[in-house]
Order: sequence, then C-alpha cells, then structure tokens
Amino acid sequence: MNIFYNRIGFFTLFFREIHRFTKVSVQTVLAPLISNLLYLGIFAGILSTRSAGIDGINYLQFLVPGLATMGALMAAFQNPSSSIIQQKFMNTLQDLNSYPISDAEKTSAFILGGTVRGILIGTLTYLATIPFVHTGIQSPVFFFVSLGITSFIFSSIGFISGLALEGFEQMNFIFALIITPLTYLGGVFFEASKLSGILGMVRFINPIYPLVNLTRYAYLGVYEENIVVHGILAGVFVIVTFGIALYAFKKGIGIKIN
Amino acid sequence: MIEIKNLNKTYKRDGKIALKNIELEIKEGEFTALLGQNGAGKTTLINILSGNVKKTSGKVFIGGFDLDTNELDTKKIIGIVPQEAGFDTFFPLYEVLKKQSGYFGIKDNEEHIDYLLDTLSLTEKKNSMLRELSGGMKRRVLIAKALVHKPKILILDEPTAGVDIEMRHSIYDFLNELHDSGMTIILTTHYIEEAERLCDRILVINKGEIIADEPKEQLMEKFSKELQVTIYFEKEIKLEDCSFLMDYRPEVHHKNELHLTIKKDEINTAIQMIAQKNMHFADITIEREKLEDIYLSLISNR
Ligand SMILES: Nc1ncnc2c1ncn2[C@@H]1O[C@H](COP(=O)(O)OP(=O)(O)O)[C@@H](O)[C@H]1O
Ligand SMILES: [Mg+2]
Repeated sequence: MNIFYNRIGFFTLFFREIHRFTKVSVQTVLAPLISNLLYLGIFAGILSTRSAGIDGINYLQFLVPGLATMGALMAAFQNPSSSIIQQKFMNTLQDLNSYPISDAEKTSAFILGGTVRGILIGTLTYLATIPFVHTGIQSPVFFFVSLGITSFIFSSIGFISGLALEGFEQMNFIFALIITPLTYLGGVFFEASKLSGILGMVRFINPIYPLVNLTRYAYLGVYEENIVVHGILAGVFVIVTFGIALYAFKKGIGIKIN
Repeated sequence: MIEIKNLNKTYKRDGKIALKNIELEIKEGEFTALLGQNGAGKTTLINILSGNVKKTSGKVFIGGFDLDTNELDTKKIIGIVPQEAGFDTFFPLYEVLKKQSGYFGIKDNEEHIDYLLDTLSLTEKKNSMLRELSGGMKRRVLIAKALVHKPKILILDEPTAGVDIEMRHSIYDFLNELHDSGMTIILTTHYIEEAERLCDRILVINKGEIIADEPKEQLMEKFSKELQVTIYFEKEIKLEDCSFLMDYRPEVHHKNELHLTIKKDEINTAIQMIAQKNMHFADITIEREKLEDIYLSLISNR
C-alpha cells in the first residue's frame, strides 16, 4: 500500500484540521493564552522574587517555558481528539473510509494539524510573556523544535484517544486524571526532581517531564537533568506514539466495523 | 465493474451472520436494484464496498482493483450515498463540496460543483450551513458529495427514504440521466414500483443471501405467468352468466367489471369464448403482475 498516495487529499484534510480550530479561535487560541497569562500573573504575585533553585534564574523565567510547553501539549492533544469525537457525533467520521488517501496520510494530516495548533499556542504563550519577563530565548530554533516535538507527541496521543474514546466525558476524564496531573508532576511549575518519594519518581515515566526540560533548556540554556537522555526519550516518544496512532487507524479502531 | 466472490460477513460484536456466500457481477452501465427487507444485508454489502465494514471472507473487485490490495484505487471509482449519513456542521455547502473534491485529489472542481448544485437544485443554498437544509435537500447534498469526483459507479442506499414524492421523482430523473450517460448504478429502495420503472436488473437479497438476480424483464416474464384481465361491460353482468369462464377465476366488481386471471397462452381462447357468447364489452385491460407482487412472493417463500 502506498504511503504517499494523494498529496492534495492529505493537504485538504490537514487544512481542514487547522481551519476547524481557527474558526473558533476565541476558544481554541485566546482562552488558553489568557489562562496561561493568569498563571503567570498569579505566580508573579506570589513567587516572583523566589529563585527557581537554579543559579541566576528567577521563578518567572523558570515558569515561562513550562507554561509554553503545557499550552502546546494541551492544545495539541485537544485538536485531533475533539475533531474526531465531534465527527463521531456528527456521524461523519466514517466518510474518511471512502477517501482515496492512505492511512499514513490521513493519520499524519490529523496529527500535524494538532501539532500546528500546539506550536501556535506554545509560541503565543511565550510572546505574551515577553512584556512581563524580560528574557530572550537562548536558542529560538531549539525552542521551536522542542515545542514541535511536544505537540507532535501529544497530538498523536490525542488522535489515539479520539479513535478509542466514545465521547467528550471520557475525554475530559482522561484529561483530568492523566494529562493534568502529569503536567503538574512534569516540572511545569516547579522542579520535578525536587519532589520526594513516589511523586518525584513519577517523572521517570512521565513523558511530559523530558519535554518540559527540553523547552526550558532552549529558553534558559540550563537544565535539570541529562539533556541528551531527555532528547533521546523525546525521540522515542515521537516514534512510539505515532506508531501506535498509525496502527490504531490501520486497525480501524473507532472508525471501521468489524 | 464490480465482482464479488464468495463474500461472507459475520459481525464480531454479536456473531450475527449478515451475508452468506454472495456471488455477484455487475457490468458497466447496468442500473441494478438491490431489494430486500430490513435487515436483509443490503447496507452491510454496501458498507463493505465503501470500506466502512470489514468483510469476513471472500473477494471483492471494483473496477478491476482488488479491495484487499488496492483499496485506495477502488475509492476513486465509486461514489456512495450512504443510508445513514451525518452532516458536517462546520462548513457551508459549497465549502463541503470543495473539501470533498480535495479529498479525492481534485484541485479545481468549481465547474463540476456548480453543475451538480444546479442539477440538484441546490445552487441557492450553496452558502448555507448544512444544518439549515431540509431533509430532502440533505439527501441531495449526499448525492452531490458522492458525485464530485465523477465516479464510474454510483451506489445509493435508500436515497429517497423520507423524501416527498415530487423530490423523489426529480432524484429519479437525475439518476436516469446519469444512467443514460453510461454510469453504473446500484440502488436500494423500499419503493419497489420505482425500482421497476428505473432499473434494468433486479437483485433480491434475503437474510444475507441473494435469492433472485435477473434482468428485470426476464424476472417479470418468469414470474408473471398469469395476467390480470379486466373486462368492462356496457351493462350489468352477473357472475352466473360467466360460469363458462370458471377456469379463469371470475369475479364481478362494480356491477359491470369482470376480473379474470388468465394464463398467458390462454388469453386468446378466453377472449374468443366471451365473443362467442355475444357479450359486448366496452373496454378491456390486461395487466401483468407487478414487481412488488413478485418480490413479495419471492421473500415469503423463504
Ligand atoms: N454494526 C453492526 N453490528 C452487528 N450487527 C449488525 C450491524 N449492522 C447491521 N447488523 C445486522 O446485520 C443484518 C443486516 O443489516 P443491514 O445490512 O443493515 O440490512 P439492510 O440494510 O438490508 O436493512 C441485520 O440483522 C443487522 O441487525
Ligand atoms: Mg439498510
């Protein structure tokens, strides 16, 4: 079976995924941006003078890449998952079965659509913090790449969730019970390595932890743990999550009847 | 155009056997009616062709392409109007059709889209959101969607269910037009008289099996061995006067109408017998059995 079968079809699907969230950009772009700025404001008020535990870095500087990563991954997760679940409700999801577009093209159109939304939210979060936190990015390219990797991974997870889940209740459940706690334990708001006991150990199996660290490294030029290991881990997550997404789609989970 | 060999479908969810050893060949340009009761397996068969349902065993070729190895190639050839379709509530009609063209790899399709909107009387609604359209319009939108990529085969799963008579006729006129232009069409419908009028081949599926598959004329010929003859007399007639016609199951209706059921090859004899009795009749109608009756007797024999 061809991987590259229908370029126009791929782009139509990809742009549909982008078009869909830009049409409701108040909810999909503005809302998360404001919520991230609120976090920044709240923590600025309480903790701005506190050091982040890393030499020469104040807490707000520490927080910005965390918020950017969090914004990116949540947006990236939401795009394909809500798109697919919405289409399940509209009863249009099975239309995908009749398009002459390869499984790899269909899967990547959804996942890249979510990736774009993730990068957009991550980047806008950073831009919005500039007036409050006067720090330039150490490595803009790496920052961008790191947001991209983060978004791609969570877009893949969102895609899988959309196929596997029946409705928005289940999705909110996943979000509240898995994604949100992992975000808090993944070093967005504080150094995960400073957590003791079980909560601290969670970081070793938490995919968010290395991603936050990579983005923070790109932003500040300093890192919590071994950046090479985290880079490799991120690469592994990219391959594994996309692999599962493609496999699930090929199997027809949630879209073909057995 | 379509070749199906020993196709079987058992739904995994509940082990329901929906199709049994289906063998079928549809030739280019044929207009086939797929008839069968609710639950007979029509939608299952169509969903296997469209890729919505995975077959359990057997082979399917569409336009010569094997569904197992060249699924994507088969999709360019067929257009499907599904029985239960949803509607994209995000984009207006014109946008939906443009996107649909894109999914099929077609970039500039405005001319064809305009043509479809025009022939399906949807031009006025091209900027409307789909949820604002009436049921009959939505059906036509589904037909337009199925045709944006100019498929060689059009498959319609009950396209007229819940559509009013006038709209039904305009849909059928359009299908006739497509058939005349050489398109291969498969239609499932509950309106059997319309299948009779439109199609040139009749397939009857019952409990997952094909129980009849013949050119319409041949099927009608085969099953309509008896003709319904109605003779209208100028004056009142009595059943007693018709005792000589006893073999033809005479019945008198409305005082002056005589109904007879006559075998095809005996029709001449019967009419001569009436003429010999000097019974003057004003009019006579001869009807063969309707497809509907044949269909009903076919499925009730099972
Ligand atoms: N998704 C499904 N899961 C299990 N059984 C199904 C499913 N869809 C249809 N069936 C069963 O398969 C049989 C054929 O159904 P269907 O193909 O829809 O018939 P038709 O279109 O002729 O009315 C029915 O008994 C139906 O209950
Ligand atoms: Mg059906």
